[in-house]
Amino acid sequence: MTPPQDALWYKDAIIYQVHPRAFYDSNGDGIGDFRGLAQKLPYLQDLGINTIWLMPFFPSPLRDDGYDISDYRSVHPNYGTLEDFKSFLAAAHERKLRVIIELVLNHTSDQHPWFQESRSSRVNPRRDWYVWSESDTRYREARIIFLDTELSNWAWDPVSKEYYWHRFFSHQPDLNYDNPAVREEMWSVMKFWLDMGVDGFRLDAVPYLIERDGTNCENLPETHVIIKALRRRVDQEFPGRMLLAEANQWPADLRPYFAQGDEFQMAFHFPLMPRMFMGLKLEDRKPITEILQQTPQIPENCQWCLFLRNHDELTLEMVTDLERDYMYDEYASDKAMRLNLGIRRRLAPLLDNDRRRIELMNGLLMSLPGTPIIYYGDEIGMGDNIKLGDRNGVRTPMQWDGSWNGGFSAADPEALYSPLMLNPVYGFQAVNVASQKRFDHSLLRWMQRLISVRKSVPAFGRGSIEFLYPANHRVLAYVRKLGKETVLTVNNLSSSAQAVELDLRQYKGNILIEMFGRNIFPRVGELPYLLTLGPYQFYWFRLRKI
Amino acid sequence: MWQIVVTELTQATHEIVAEIARFLPRLVVMLIIVLIGWGAAYLVKWILRSILRLAKFDRLSQHAGAAQLLHKADLPSPTELLSRFVFWLAWLAFILIGVSVLGIVGLEEHVARFFGFLPRLFAAFFVFFFGLLAASFFSRAALLAAVNADLPSPQLISSTIYTLIILLAVSMGFEELGVAETTVVVAFGIIFGALMMGLALAFGLGGRELARRFLERRFSREKKEEREDELSPL
Amino acid sequence: MNVGEVDILVGVPTFNDAKTVAPVVQAIRAGLLKYFPRQRAVIINADGGSKDPTQELVRAASITDMVRAANIHALRTLHCISTQYAGGAASGTALHTIVAAADLLRARACAVISADSLSITPEWLEGLLRPVHRESFDLVTPLYRRHKFDGLLVRNLVYPMTRAVYAKRIREPHPPDFAFSGRLAGHFLGEEIWTQDIARTGAEMFLTVSAITGGFSVAQSYLGPKARVEHSSSDLVPAMRQTVGGLFWSLDPNFAFWSAQNGSQAVPTFGADYEIALEPLRVNRKHLHQMFVRGVADLEPVLKTILSASTLAELQRVAALPEDDFCYSDELWVRTVYDLAAAHHKTVISRDHIVQALAPLYRGKTYTFLAQNREAPAEELERNVESLSQTFERMKPYLLEQWNGQK
Repeated sequence: MTPPQDALWYKDAIIYQVHPRAFYDSNGDGIGDFRGLAQKLPYLQDLGINTIWLMPFFPSPLRDDGYDISDYRSVHPNYGTLEDFKSFLAAAHERKLRVIIELVLNHTSDQHPWFQESRSSRVNPRRDWYVWSESDTRYREARIIFLDTELSNWAWDPVSKEYYWHRFFSHQPDLNYDNPAVREEMWSVMKFWLDMGVDGFRLDAVPYLIERDGTNCENLPETHVIIKALRRRVDQEFPGRMLLAEANQWPADLRPYFAQGDEFQMAFHFPLMPRMFMGLKLEDRKPITEILQQTPQIPENCQWCLFLRNHDELTLEMVTDLERDYMYDEYASDKAMRLNLGIRRRLAPLLDNDRRRIELMNGLLMSLPGTPIIYYGDEIGMGDNIKLGDRNGVRTPMQWDGSWNGGFSAADPEALYSPLMLNPVYGFQAVNVASQKRFDHSLLRWMQRLISVRKSVPAFGRGSIEFLYPANHRVLAYVRKLGKETVLTVNNLSSSAQAVELDLRQYKGNILIEMFGRNIFPRVGELPYLLTLGPYQFYWFRLRKI
Repeated sequence: MWQIVVTELTQATHEIVAEIARFLPRLVVMLIIVLIGWGAAYLVKWILRSILRLAKFDRLSQHAGAAQLLHKADLPSPTELLSRFVFWLAWLAFILIGVSVLGIVGLEEHVARFFGFLPRLFAAFFVFFFGLLAASFFSRAALLAAVNADLPSPQLISSTIYTLIILLAVSMGFEELGVAETTVVVAFGIIFGALMMGLALAFGLGGRELARRFLERRFSREKKEEREDELSPL
Repeated sequence: MNVGEVDILVGVPTFNDAKTVAPVVQAIRAGLLKYFPRQRAVIINADGGSKDPTQELVRAASITDMVRAANIHALRTLHCISTQYAGGAASGTALHTIVAAADLLRARACAVISADSLSITPEWLEGLLRPVHRESFDLVTPLYRRHKFDGLLVRNLVYPMTRAVYAKRIREPHPPDFAFSGRLAGHFLGEEIWTQDIARTGAEMFLTVSAITGGFSVAQSYLGPKARVEHSSSDLVPAMRQTVGGLFWSLDPNFAFWSAQNGSQAVPTFGADYEIALEPLRVNRKHLHQMFVRGVADLEPVLKTILSASTLAELQRVAALPEDDFCYSDELWVRTVYDLAAAHHKTVISRDHIVQALAPLYRGKTYTFLAQNREAPAEELERNVESLSQTFERMKPYLLEQWNGQK
């Protein structure tokens, strides 16, 4: 077990998001599992990441990729047993890798025994565990989240002849958090996993825990009370464990989830992500600087989570209509790529498989203020398959080498949980770990170097940020500071070479040390500092007064 | 005695004949020079005329109003006139050179003075000519400006300016020629001064209204005169 | 300039326009935001050396209030650059600066907006730029809803003559607000007029002529009401220098083109057609008549050299008529203008003087126009303008005769 030597370890974390099902199949049934995952831990350690975020692996009918849970205290047989998980956890900790798991608080699967009981009759003791109503007119202001599939947040239960509340799919009834029994039970679920040694939870769909009439049923104060209570108990019994909020809200609305540092330690910065892509296409830093300036300050012990892509669609909820139309037209001209107000593509296809752009975006990910998350497969530039339904296009098997099934599984290809990528550009023969390990200039090697430089500078994870506004709007430049450490990043967002003059007068006398090659750039003087950048190029400089 | 007379006469005759004999070649040379001079002058006239035609001198002098003046005086066009004048000048120069060859004392000095005079003559012509040009241009400009600015008696203003510039040019020309320098300069000074004085008095006393309107229009743009609903022809 | 390539460039020439420039720039920014949100755009203010805070106002003109209200959010950085050009205030130099900037920044579509366009709305940007940006026209001239007694110089002289000579019915050949394509900008920069002095004042006229003679596609776009700018009487000569002077100047180098044209063609129009506002306006014409009569009398020595004998005689006869009978007929006017155009070509006297000499004669024509149309409804006014234009066209052979004829 890794005792939490540093209570703020999550500020220095580099998180790797992976689904056990998609990584490596050890028993040849076509589905990845924990034993397989454990076998690939050396690869992850090599890559340089230090935290693994596991997608849901609890027992589930798998109608929502595992987010519909039917048993909170076990492991889905597809991925192995609880013992397998414990061994994996131990192996990870041995390699100094922390593990965060998903916990879906808001709802369960309709196959969960609790719901089976709850719906069996109106007087069942567990009736109150879910939200029932005779009519479907309550909580009218609440928006529908899965617009492409659901027409209402209420579903009719033919068994007990009442409506039940569900913010997500209709087979995912919401738990009733007004019921103290529910709250106790969920705490005991958390305790179960924390006792096992899990380092933290990503709490899914937290804004929706509580419903009240006359509100939009999101981010209500009662929800915060519940979270605060959970956090208190975690801090008491398991200090150093981390709670990460999944709340797709504007930064100002996200702020309450940090409260005074007594709720979540981390939350995803959803609005920043589409703006990074937008700034790249517009060749203008404005979207990025604006959103970060509108981002409120958060308590000292809290941290933003940054990401480029994840298992879901690239959500465009937190942008204006004008911006959404622009993103659709530029990044998802094929309407099949659009889903639920988002774009369901992986990083590499979104950036036209352009190595320079991929590097630039990862560079931004690693240098903007927050903890970066790498989605599995993006470190080798995997592609997507939009012909697979829902968001499964970005959840194809990990590509290890050019052999049978891409080295993912020994099973027959037809038995795989998802078809492999086969086309000449993104197929497993072209894009795989083994071939990229062989060459020094591959994306995988570059990502390793990037991560190692990032880890060497605590200012990235913990420091302040100050934007520079040079006249050239195509260049995004900012300074990260932590104590005596000062780092300057300069990023060229455009596809053509740029020159930029930076006002570095307050750093006069410093020399610039480029961090990847450790080469010395001229000393800062009185005059504006001139830098030239190639297309999509970026610099990381350490400032030193020598 | 008779013999002395005869001897003296013979001697004198001999001397005269010798003189004539010495003189004749010079005369011949002079005539040759004059002839060559005629040819050269004609060449010069021809070249000059071509140059002037190319430079559209006639057009320029039309602008100056010189062409019109000459026409009134029933003289040929400016190009032609200038070419002929230069021809005569050139030929005269050669004749004088020839005359100087004759060696008649006293004449040489005059010849030199004549040649010294030539450049100033040309300078004076230039001054006259360009003075004429400027006078007609500026008087016309003043006329147009006055008419468009609705000032009273624009023609008076125009002819005043014309006269002034001509006077100036004439004075400068005469000064250049060295003809009655002082007289001309003083006369010009008096006329010019008097005119200016008169104008000043007129502006100051009689032309108060005019001056005021003029100044108002120039310096206070904001307070445009309101002629009731006056529609600008713009 | 760190702007880099842009898609749209809007130029605003200014000189001591502090009173009117701020709302104009705001309207431009709003128009760009509303109608061209995805395009890279820049506003360039070419200033002739203003002594008042024009340049500061331009830089500061922001639309934060408007943005919050309309909930419009800019995708991109919009640059606004204010620069001074050398050589004193001259509309031609300002235009050259703007066109050169458009060429340098490879703008696809450019617009020029006059700093005193008080009636501008954001829709003007769309009206002017859309035909260039989306429909590949090269020059878009405006159509306004003018008061019937506004823009008389254009209606009585510049429009009909341009139409007759260059065979295109462009109502505002010397437009205060217009748009052009990057293609035309490049072509225009290469023209020879920039070495001449006339370029300082008459450049807009040349742009229109250059577009026509170069075979570029021209369109007109209806913008809306044009606020009447109060002009004083002394503004006439500078305005004539720009418009008429420019037009006359353009005749020489383009002789081969226009001498071969016959009649005139209409030009594609976007939006409503030309409109006339009919608010009642009291008009005092007497002064115009006086200036005409005095002009004809006082300028006789000049007019003798630049007008043909018959035209001058006719003018003098007309000038002698009592005011009530006075009528400066269309035919006589066309003859006057064509005589002067020919004199301008031959440079009988200084060209600028020829243009100045036209001014009092033009006043006489204006008098007749105002008298004719005082009570006229819009259609009749239009008919009169149309018939004047046709007279210009019909008498084109006369122009050619005078042009080639003896002195």
